[in-house]
Amino acid sequence: MSLFSRKVEKVPCTVEVSHRFEALHAHVKFNDGSVIHPGDEVLVQGPPVLAAWGELIVEDRIATITRANALERFWTRLTGDFEFMELCEFSFSEEMSV
Amino acid sequence: MNVHATTHDELAAEMGDRFDTDAMAQESTLLNPRFYTTDFDELDRIDVTPVRAEWDKLIGQMKADPNKGHFKKTADWDKVDWDNMEPGLKRELIDFLVSSCTAEFSGCVLYKEMKRRGKNPDICELFNYMARDEARHAGFINDALREAGVAVNLGFLTKAKKYTYFRPKFIYYATYLSEKIGYARYITIYRHLEAHPEQRFHPIFKWFKEWCNDEFSHGEAFALLMRTDPKLTNGFVNKLWIRFFLTAVFATMYVRDHARPAFHKALGVDIDWYDQEVFRKTGEIAKQVFPMELDIDHPAWMPTLKKIESAFRDMEAGERKGGMVGKLTKWAAMTRAGMGFARLYLIPVRKNTPPASVRLEPAY
Repeated sequence: MSLFSRKVEKVPCTVEVSHRFEALHAHVKFNDGSVIHPGDEVLVQGPPVLAAWGELIVEDRIATITRANALERFWTRLTGDFEFMELCEFSFSEEMSV
Repeated sequence: MNVHATTHDELAAEMGDRFDTDAMAQESTLLNPRFYTTDFDELDRIDVTPVRAEWDKLIGQMKADPNKGHFKKTADWDKVDWDNMEPGLKRELIDFLVSSCTAEFSGCVLYKEMKRRGKNPDICELFNYMARDEARHAGFINDALREAGVAVNLGFLTKAKKYTYFRPKFIYYATYLSEKIGYARYITIYRHLEAHPEQRFHPIFKWFKEWCNDEFSHGEAFALLMRTDPKLTNGFVNKLWIRFFLTAVFATMYVRDHARPAFHKALGVDIDWYDQEVFRKTGEIAKQVFPMELDIDHPAWMPTLKKIESAFRDMEAGERKGGMVGKLTKWAAMTRAGMGFARLYLIPVRKNTPPASVRLEPAY
């Protein structure tokens, strides 16, 4: 891993988006067993996966993983912990004015 | 978290005739959860042997899934008159639903990732059930949003997402607290509305009781996890962190609740009273595992919270104003908020020795 430069990988993945009454979720699974590390960026290729109401979409796609460089990984490890607040129902949403 | 990034027209164009017509959305909210990684090897090293009996019982309950049938709309789900709702209340109610949905959704993403990457069967089983519950809750809230004409857009997967990092023990502290405070918040509103049913302006509140029992048992699972290794909640540095999490979560909740005055007024709830009540319940419950309790009756507690809240208002005002003056206002307010937080953090805590048996049942 380089200190400054980022490596880009393309890997096959399966996306699953459920927009149903019984479950609302969206997940990406890397089919080749690729593992994500702190600070890496993941982009699923192709048009948005838009599940209409009542729909469950499971689709194979390609994902681009942009690996964080050593500095970014270090920084994310250091600061990521402070983003925990969004797990709370009263977390800040960007458009709401205080 | 929620950004109105995709307009209704864009959505309709993309989705064409698949677009839902019985609840035609007037606006769409793009869910934009964070994605997490952690030290999965450390997570896998957890050994639940010291709490095995309690662990198996809790997992058994989750497996039996007593709330499976609960999250369905029944005759109890009254019609909501969205069109005639006072606009301020409507805006705050939708904000409440969107942030609840985002929180459930983010929990689901986090738990699912743990389940997928973990190798320890106990841990994987737990996170599997918790992800199930969160997705179910998110689906239920989403349905309430649809009725309000708000469509949740899950198209975020095809936007670039950075993975953030949580140390395993911070996951325990933060998720434990968010689950328990979620329980305290929901049950306090539920009990209040039980006594004042005329103030129940949306049917979703009727579901809060069973809902918060899910939150409660998730919290129990994290309490057990923390109990597997006494080092997690002991030692000077960990204690400082636990104190930090408690303070940060309480202060954030106070600021956020005060941003929803119409919502609380319609419920007939005094925000200061409500928040103190939630802090009290959460603090009391958290004694099962945390070595301290914040002193929310300290003379400096409430005045400092009020100062932080007013600093946040000024920060917003500065932001809106823009320009150099706006920036200066914002920075000054940020400094005040930071100092307020430091003051809150330094209020002496009440020491606590967690009981030998960790498990609790929902009692409020």
